[in-house]
Amino acid sequence: MSDFMQQVLDSAATGSPPWLQDWQRAGRQRWQASTLPGRKTEQWKYTSLQGLQQRFVAANSGDVELSAAGVALPQLGGPRLVFVNGFYSPAQSSLESLPPGASLVRFSDADDQQAKRIRAHLGLATGRDEPLFTALNEAAMSDGVFLDIAPGASLAEPIHVVWVSANQGEAFSVTQRLLVLCGESSSASVIEHFAGGAGGQRSFTNGVTELLLQAGATLCHYRLHLEQEAALHIGRVQARLATGATLNSFHLALGSELKRIDLVVDYCGEGAHCELNGVYLPRGTEHVDYHTCIEHRVPNCTSSETFRGIVGDSATAVFNGRIHIHRDAQKTRAQLNNRNLLTSTQAEVNTKPELEIYADDVQCAHGATVAQLDELALHYLRSRGVSRAAGEVMLSFGFINEVIESIRCEALRDYLQPMLAARFARDPALVGQVA
Amino acid sequence: MSQEHIDQAISREYSAGFISAIESDTLPPGLDEEVICWISHKKGEPDWLLQWRLEAYRGFRQMEEPTWAHVHYPPIDLEAVSYYSSPRSMKDGPKSLDEVDPELLATYAKLGIPLHEQEVLAGVAVDAVFDSVSVATTFRGKLAEAGVIFCPISEAVHSHPELVRKYLGTVVPRKDNYYAALNSAVFSDGSFVYIPKGVRCPMELSTYFRINEAKTGQFERTLIIADEGSHVSYLEGCTAPMRDENQLHAAVVELVALDGAQIKYSTVQNWYPGDAQGRGGIYNFVTKRGVAHRDAKISWTQVETGSAVTWKYPSCILRGDNSVGEFYSVALTNNFQQADTGTKMIHLGKNTRSTIISKGISAGASSNAYRGLVRMSPKAAGARNYTQCDSLLIGDRCAAHTFPYIESRNPSAVVEHEATTSKVSEDQLYLCQQRGLDAEKAVSMIVNGFCKEVFKELPMEFAVEAGKLLEVSLEGSVG
Amino acid sequence: MLKIENLHAGVDGTDILRGLNLEVKPGEVHAIMGPNGSGKSTLGHVLAGRPGYTVTAGSATLLGQDLLQLETEERARLGLFLAFQYPVEIPGVSNMEFLKAAVDAHREQRGQAPIDAVSFMKQARETCKVVDLDPAFLKRGVNEGFSGGEKKRNELMQMILLEPRLAILDETDSGLDIDALQVVARGVNAMRSSERAFVLVTHYQRLLDYIEPDHVHVLADGRIVRSGDKSLALELEARGYAWLEDEVA
Repeated sequence: MSDFMQQVLDSAATGSPPWLQDWQRAGRQRWQASTLPGRKTEQWKYTSLQGLQQRFVAANSGDVELSAAGVALPQLGGPRLVFVNGFYSPAQSSLESLPPGASLVRFSDADDQQAKRIRAHLGLATGRDEPLFTALNEAAMSDGVFLDIAPGASLAEPIHVVWVSANQGEAFSVTQRLLVLCGESSSASVIEHFAGGAGGQRSFTNGVTELLLQAGATLCHYRLHLEQEAALHIGRVQARLATGATLNSFHLALGSELKRIDLVVDYCGEGAHCELNGVYLPRGTEHVDYHTCIEHRVPNCTSSETFRGIVGDSATAVFNGRIHIHRDAQKTRAQLNNRNLLTSTQAEVNTKPELEIYADDVQCAHGATVAQLDELALHYLRSRGVSRAAGEVMLSFGFINEVIESIRCEALRDYLQPMLAARFARDPALVGQVA
Repeated sequence: MSQEHIDQAISREYSAGFISAIESDTLPPGLDEEVICWISHKKGEPDWLLQWRLEAYRGFRQMEEPTWAHVHYPPIDLEAVSYYSSPRSMKDGPKSLDEVDPELLATYAKLGIPLHEQEVLAGVAVDAVFDSVSVATTFRGKLAEAGVIFCPISEAVHSHPELVRKYLGTVVPRKDNYYAALNSAVFSDGSFVYIPKGVRCPMELSTYFRINEAKTGQFERTLIIADEGSHVSYLEGCTAPMRDENQLHAAVVELVALDGAQIKYSTVQNWYPGDAQGRGGIYNFVTKRGVAHRDAKISWTQVETGSAVTWKYPSCILRGDNSVGEFYSVALTNNFQQADTGTKMIHLGKNTRSTIISKGISAGASSNAYRGLVRMSPKAAGARNYTQCDSLLIGDRCAAHTFPYIESRNPSAVVEHEATTSKVSEDQLYLCQQRGLDAEKAVSMIVNGFCKEVFKELPMEFAVEAGKLLEVSLEGSVG
Repeated sequence: MLKIENLHAGVDGTDILRGLNLEVKPGEVHAIMGPNGSGKSTLGHVLAGRPGYTVTAGSATLLGQDLLQLETEERARLGLFLAFQYPVEIPGVSNMEFLKAAVDAHREQRGQAPIDAVSFMKQARETCKVVDLDPAFLKRGVNEGFSGGEKKRNELMQMILLEPRLAILDETDSGLDIDALQVVARGVNAMRSSERAFVLVTHYQRLLDYIEPDHVHVLADGRIVRSGDKSLALELEARGYAWLEDEVA
């Protein structure tokens, strides 16, 4: 296989605990037995992996100040874990506010008891015969983060896990892994936050996150892909919902050269619900690809999915939203909506909402649009004196703001709204909530 | 509904499933260049067409059978198929309808397609294709008065070689896909239509396809050319006998709508679907495509109730500015039928418009997929597409899928896609039953209502037939 | 102030206005009445410059400027306000953001700096009270999920904040209950001044019980077929429109 793979594998640290080394060996075997998918593979029809055909080295130490990496983090009040170029940065992390009922531990740092729990749950959501990049993730997995939320615990503040790509010269690769276990009837929020990449530093992150929601658990999950330019990312979030669990998951991707995120939600117990929302905003020559898959395996569950994108300049966006209703999943209610704005003659959108249905007593709907801004709404703004140009940015921002408004974590919303408003050259003071 | 009712309904026979005792000349099974030369020679074709076929065949040998469709069937042994079968009485060719084998006429009469002009459906000209050859074309004289050419394509090769040569393979290239390449190599007959400039075809044109002979495949090829500003409405119907083995039907249809022309192409596909256990039935792998030039319009309407496996995507290439493409489809699958059908709308010209209305009904243990592509090219400024795909599920063993591909590269183009899947509403059913209808009648009525948007696009004669066909095809599906 | 001469205009090539003449002077309130399909709403849209509406002949000037040559937003900044019969919903854009952008655009026209956010919020909340709208609506998307009455009040609020020279109210009374109607009337009456004019487009006389017009015109078949004082409105209320149409025919 390509140079690229060898480099990624070489970047894996060797001093891992034996149980982790077992995972690495198994991952390596699966990875070596496979080939990189090409454009003829349905799942990769619109996304080229050409950008990966280059040399990536292991990252140096993560001893870089965030400010030096051009990253300003929001103050969310809860515990924070920061990794720079894949290395844990104790100085920039703060775990003091970790509430009782929650345990946050790194794989490399886990004691026997903790390692036992990790091994009991890691890979439950992905499965061992999972896709290629999960195999690569495991082959190179020298560390990871395990968030263990005790049954019945209720965490007020979000847990903030940050991965930063900072300048180090040569192109490097990072393997990210997060395992979240939400005990029965617990409730928590997790923010995965990827940042950096400005200034032309090339990097490749292979991220895998597993969310295990046990009966009655509620999790608000946010995954922010704010890394830019040459920060390539192939990521995957796999969630498993047990009986009565609720997952609220929000995704945001600014563009970069290559960004491909797969989101899979597996329903394993009845009465579960998932709300999956996202926004993508590639511009320049950026490429963002979201592949989502909702697996309704059991009866009486609901899912609701909304993704919106604004694609400018010569950027490309890909969206594939699959709803798969298995034979026994009667009484499922599932809906998906994907809307796109193309703002330039060079921009491109490829979208495919998919329904695959094997049960009859279900109600499913999906819709997709690709269009320009609503002419009538623009006219209404102009009839009040707002210029065409100002009206256009106002409507563009409004288009994604509808989804941003679905974020339940107020502190996060307050962080994102002005940032995105600024991206649309809007007055940040007005965009957020009125005091 | 009781089990007894269901059993009764299921055991009802496919009404077009009889076999006609007609002597025929059938080529032994097998496919090689010799077979192609034989077919070409048999039809007395010019050398260019033989070379065209051979080129397609060589391309075909390099290709692999597509696997992306959501259908499953055992491998097809192309060496076990006979690529030519013609009723013996055709040997010297009938000079008029009076010379057509009475058994053949009886076959079509049984199918409800009288070929005697005096009995013919009011205002419809019919070309009947039996296995590999066209057996009769009605009303040719009347059409000729209007300058319309409607004849078997094998005849057009001789009588209008310039038109055939100019357009054959321009819409569906020889090596477009596996089955189109196979068809290009071995096609035996089909219909040819030419409507001259500015002419509104005085009657509906129609072709009835019938596969009769065992172990034969049908590979017909249809070419319709609507010259500038002309109009034509074309209907196609298909049936086949009940046989336990699967039979292959790999057709190609090419439509050319020149500037300002309009072509309306309607299909009622009722090939033998196989029995309730999934034995037998036609494999229907069809490539249908039209090119619409400036201000032209191509409208596909299909009612698909037959075939064991269907793989079919009637498409429009909207090449000219302001051209219009439409696709109206009802696809019903029951028992073990599988359908993967839909359309492609390729918007190339400015202000091109397309509408897709697809209604899928799955019953029994069948699988029904809509697969579509809407592509807005960078030059398709101001283009519009609206797509509505609805699926109805009847029973808990069937499957319904929707795979719409949307590719847009023009910011002023607007694409809207909506899809829903649900079962027959219990409230609707309850209302019908409360008013005294039995469950089966109620479902059939509701399904007909579900399909209404598509049926209203069909010419009158077909709309009635389609409604009945749906009812028959649904029998035994309501538990 | 507003001068319309021989205006012919329509949508998609069909003429709806066929030679309309109207002059409105500062301080005046005109009511334009007429049966459905007479072209009442078209007049407002043509003056505001709605896409799809084309003028085929005639002229329209506001404060001496040729309206028809101006962009929609330029007409608005000149002082033309159209209260929409069907206000547009713009989800995701907060009402507050929208209002401030509009007010700032008008201020810029007058050479004023943008209003600071705090005083604007104060002003907006006060205006909410005037039009009897819950200030919570300021946070919501523009007209998003508003009831019919709430949308009309939101239009009225915009009119108050933007202080237009000429306000056209397109069937603002339709679908309003009596309380809401009085709110609208109070708003309009409070704004009446010698510098400002109103054109009330309405199907019913009811609104005119609360806002007394100086002139009443009847529009039929794209033209003003009769003009008079407020007694004309009462006559129409009593006799309907048919007699007028017959007379004209």
